[in-house]
Amino acid sequence: MLLVPRQLRRAGLTGDVPYYGGRFTPAQAYAASHPSASAPAAPPSGSLGRTVVPEAAKPARSPEDTLRTLERLREDGVITPEEYDDLRSRTAT
Amino acid sequence: MTGPVQVLVVGFEQPHFSGEVLAELTRLRAAGIVNLLDVLVVTREADGHLETVTPPPGELPEDSGRLAAALLGAADGSADGAASTASAKEHGQWSLADAVPIGTTAAVALIEHTWAEPLRAAVARSGGAPLEETWLAREDSERLQSLLADHAPG
Repeated sequence: MLLVPRQLRRAGLTGDVPYYGGRFTPAQAYAASHPSASAPAAPPSGSLGRTVVPEAAKPARSPEDTLRTLERLREDGVITPEEYDDLRSRTAT
Repeated sequence: MTGPVQVLVVGFEQPHFSGEVLAELTRLRAAGIVNLLDVLVVTREADGHLETVTPPPGELPEDSGRLAAALLGAADGSADGAASTASAKEHGQWSLADAVPIGTTAAVALIEHTWAEPLRAAVARSGGAPLEETWLAREDSERLQSLLADHAPG
């Protein structure tokens, strides 16, 4: 007998585990917004599940690129002028 | 039915569901751990469509597969049984067509985990929100076994 498969939602044993389908998970979002910070509770290499991006894989950014990005974030209202000044001073050092 | 239900899809070279697996599920049911709700056998034809398979006599109950077929598919080809789409996958949905490769046969078991209902209720009562559930890969399970041995008292 022909069986046309029906689409079903996924769920976890203890409830509906969030599905991030192509979007950042909370851990990935944290890593992207804290590029220079150490990953929280990062396990040693080869341990369970977590993929650690090697330092060499991160694209190098010039101070000019960083300043342009900061200016764009300020103009778009993502950061305040005070935050812009603070971040700019860190870039200069 | 009160516990969470797992859909277990197992591929076989031949269209049969191992008697050994059924025996183990029967033992777990007797122990109040799981409840085998139904078993459906399907085959994925070369053109991609799925066909239900009548299991050989004696391997499964005569009416086996009806419940799973009604849940997982639309036997009459109605619109609700549309094939997998990118949009559906983006929303975390799945279908048997995603699981069963073309040219293979699979047994699809609906297994109610009766032991898990109290745990699920406890999570809900405590206000907890499930964030992730997964199974350890074999190598990580072996590593865990080693860690347990290292930390064993005495």
